[in-house]
Amino acid sequence: MTTIPAARRRRNTLLGWSFLLPNFIGFALLTMVPVVLLFYYAFTSWDMFGGSEWTGLDNFQQMVRDASFRTALGNTLYYTVFHIPLTLLAALGLALLLNKRLRGVAFFRTVAFFPYITSIVAVAQVWNMLFSPGYGPINAVLRAVGVDNPPGWTTSADWSMPAVIVVGTWREMGYFMLIFLAGLQTVPGELYEAARVDGANAWQRLRAVTLPCLRPTTFFVIVMLTINSFKVFDLILVMTNGGPGQSTLVLAQYIYRKGFEENQFGYASAVSVVLFGICFLVTVVQFLVNRRREA
Amino acid sequence: MSTLLNPAPVLLPPAAPRPARRGARAGRILGYLALIVASAAVLLPFYWMVVSSLKTNNEVFTLPVTWLPSSAEWHNYVDIWTRSDMTTWLGNTVLLSVVVTLLQVLTGSFAAYGFAKIRFPGRDVLFLAYVGTLAVPWQSYMIPQFVLLSKWHLSDTLWSIIAIQAFGALGVFLMKQFYESVPDELVDAARIDGMSEYGIYRRIMLPLSTPALASLALLTLVNTWNDFLGPLLYLRSNDLWTIQLGLRTFISQYSAEYALIMTGSVLSVLPIAVIFLVGQRYFVEGIATTGLKG
Amino acid sequence: MNRSITAVLGAATVLSLALTGCSSGDDGAGADGKTTLTLAGWSLATTPEFKLLADGFHQKNPDVTVELKEYDPKNYDTQMIADLAAGKAPDIYVQKTLKNFYTYQSGKQLLDVSDVAAGLKSANGLSSYQVDGKTFAVPYRGDSWVIYYNKALFDQAKVKYPDGSWTWDDYAAAGKQLTTGLKTAGSKALGIYEHVWQSTLQGFALAQTPGADLASGNFGYLKPYYTRALDLQKAGAQVGLGDATTNNLTYQAQFGKQQAAMMTMGTWYIATLLSQQKSGDADTFEWGIAPAPQADKSTTGTAATPVTFADPTGLGINPKIDKGEIDAAKAFLSYAAGPDAAKALAAIGITPANTDAAADTIFAVKGVPTDAVAKFAFTKHDTKPENPVGKYTAPLQNILNDLHTAVLSGSKDIDAAIAEAQDRAKNEVLNK
Repeated sequence: MTTIPAARRRRNTLLGWSFLLPNFIGFALLTMVPVVLLFYYAFTSWDMFGGSEWTGLDNFQQMVRDASFRTALGNTLYYTVFHIPLTLLAALGLALLLNKRLRGVAFFRTVAFFPYITSIVAVAQVWNMLFSPGYGPINAVLRAVGVDNPPGWTTSADWSMPAVIVVGTWREMGYFMLIFLAGLQTVPGELYEAARVDGANAWQRLRAVTLPCLRPTTFFVIVMLTINSFKVFDLILVMTNGGPGQSTLVLAQYIYRKGFEENQFGYASAVSVVLFGICFLVTVVQFLVNRRREA
Repeated sequence: MSTLLNPAPVLLPPAAPRPARRGARAGRILGYLALIVASAAVLLPFYWMVVSSLKTNNEVFTLPVTWLPSSAEWHNYVDIWTRSDMTTWLGNTVLLSVVVTLLQVLTGSFAAYGFAKIRFPGRDVLFLAYVGTLAVPWQSYMIPQFVLLSKWHLSDTLWSIIAIQAFGALGVFLMKQFYESVPDELVDAARIDGMSEYGIYRRIMLPLSTPALASLALLTLVNTWNDFLGPLLYLRSNDLWTIQLGLRTFISQYSAEYALIMTGSVLSVLPIAVIFLVGQRYFVEGIATTGLKG
Repeated sequence: MNRSITAVLGAATVLSLALTGCSSGDDGAGADGKTTLTLAGWSLATTPEFKLLADGFHQKNPDVTVELKEYDPKNYDTQMIADLAAGKAPDIYVQKTLKNFYTYQSGKQLLDVSDVAAGLKSANGLSSYQVDGKTFAVPYRGDSWVIYYNKALFDQAKVKYPDGSWTWDDYAAAGKQLTTGLKTAGSKALGIYEHVWQSTLQGFALAQTPGADLASGNFGYLKPYYTRALDLQKAGAQVGLGDATTNNLTYQAQFGKQQAAMMTMGTWYIATLLSQQKSGDADTFEWGIAPAPQADKSTTGTAATPVTFADPTGLGINPKIDKGEIDAAKAFLSYAAGPDAAKALAAIGITPANTDAAADTIFAVKGVPTDAVAKFAFTKHDTKPENPVGKYTAPLQNILNDLHTAVLSGSKDIDAAIAEAQDRAKNEVLNK
């Protein structure tokens, strides 16, 4: 960065804040204040009705000993590690495929977005039924192609998470496809022309032109996917409710259980803070990597 | 200069290179077939939703699954209108969705310009704080937020939903990423031309980011439309209910009426689907920047 | 570091206070001596009990009006916790689940109503609301779990109706017999439907096993109940948990549409089944209720008192109520838990906490089975709470729910699952 004169810097600061302010006032009052309070509650035995005692690091020490917390964290990481790349590829693939002047493309785009707006109850019901070990069509197909012992999917401790990951990807791909579609519009057409003149094939054009130009969009998608995966909640709730056993218990659900079901809001806040910390770290790393690439 | 500010339309690459015509047509037909099969698979849950809305309640969840109702119970669609207050709910939902979307798009894109194109100390840290709060599950701070808004006498008013939805960090983040793909040279050139920052935002950035604005608007609209927990906590008077809250409350009164649940779900999805179908060209037929970058 | 956090918090608080101004909501005793109480309820259009209580009380006390405030049935506690936290909750609110009573009581959100409790003659489940010798809520509903059976399907399979003499082994044997009998008769119905809830096994196991104690962290008492259920699943006499959850089966459809010849369920299903048979959502067939199966012969037969379980539903008073309204609110609680309200509730098919006063009324309701076994099942039982009130109940029940899904889905065998649950109980819950 070149050195900027002090007066210019002050002017920029004022200007910058004038842009931020309308959003920032609302954001600070309505989101930041409660979140800061949450950070405070993480160090207390808060019970929601105002009764709270400063307990220092007790909640965090308890977390270290808590095997269920570790299970939930492990499951969340499991979900995240698979959900991010799968959804990213599916969304990008869909966007590239549907960013064309095809007849009926509007229809197909709408279809791809449908999983995101379909009622989650219906989504869970239909997928659970497709996965149903004894009666479901998925296992019927598997048996037909010679798999003797098809997995029990959502009713088996080993296969419930893969099943949830598949449904999570299916549900969110349309959402991120839309963002990629918008991002693709910022790719200058001349670059394609130039690449084509240079004799680049479709794959080379994708790697040399599309992906670099999409980088800010991809960054957004990856960060949002990370955050959404770490926070995954309602899908798990309706698909498996964390079961069988604890095989699909995730952090957001654990927080809800500890808080609203077991009345340990202080502890739940502490877990939220840890969840926040993990997401924040991952995001900062992504932010730095992204900036280095840009430079 | 004028070429810089007059964006050229995107030249979309044609679907297939252009070898022998017959091969292209066969490929196209195969492609369509694949798309149609994939669409059918994707739409299966929605199909099940529609079919279930035409069943009787105890027919909805059965073993094995029935893909066709024994007789179509169209009256479910009449019942839900006559027995509930759908018109009020729709009115509230439309009002909220429009206001929230407008506020989110406006303040979000405005703030995003500050984050993307003006350098000032503390900018990046503040931005990370914005994104960081996205990582905190709402369930864990919804009670403090509720207490706060109740103290301001905003709970049980439509303002509460506007307040908690309109200033989210998502819009700022999304728009900032799009503004970053607009070359700095373009902005600098305009500055040299004597345009103010606000002018650059309005005259250059906004037109350039139509697809992003449109997708942000749609995503915000969908989220506001489908939000259930927010209205559940804040809107207690029946005349303030949104469609999601109204339908689910209405349905849970008749706790085992699963067919009506699906009827309600179909009805609440349709407007969104129509908006998407009609509006989707704005998301993709925006205007791209000219090739300054690269 | 400590100080900077405090500073930030201070700033946040000042900010919120500055924007708050003062807030206080006043309603209640007016100058004309009339009092208005507010009462929380849910699904008012289809749950008439709240209006029934409010109107009945107003009739007896014309000076007091009870206004209803509607909540969402599925998210009642979330909404109520938020309202209490914000100081906006109604004067009187329902303890919808016993599991959450501890949250409210330990959070000091319930007024001491021991004087009301002292005046009650018969109220099943009252002891659940007593902590350290004080009472914090009074029950007005008192369901209990019984067997529902489909007489037509029993006849078809040529199996004798339950008569109150059954142990769980008899129940399992009958279930298998029914399944084979129904298959021979060409019916697709199974002998038993057990819903996916953990209560179907754990509620009974806890209530019926001598010495069983949830808070002890020893869950060995669950084993016989799970062994039997697994055997029934394996024999095909009931739908497995996996198929029931993946297909979202509902007990109303399984029993109401004659997919199963019998099931255990709470007495709240009586009113539902009656109305579903009337509306056509359930088939029309003859059904009966019988006492829940017992752990052994010592509590079977009409000479003994069968042991079963269920949680009561109670009413408590919000401590933020205006001082001048406390007496009226307590009078309302006495009325709701008393004999007059019990009769009124029974007339609409609800099982009141005061079953003695209500038995005649409920058997006069059209469609309710009135044979001797049904009457015995309804009136005579030792009903223990499913969720004994305590600090550890909610987290322990969550652990046991994990055990339930792991065992019945076949992911873990029962011994390993019990060992794991006991470990978790010791390390995550009981050590606090």
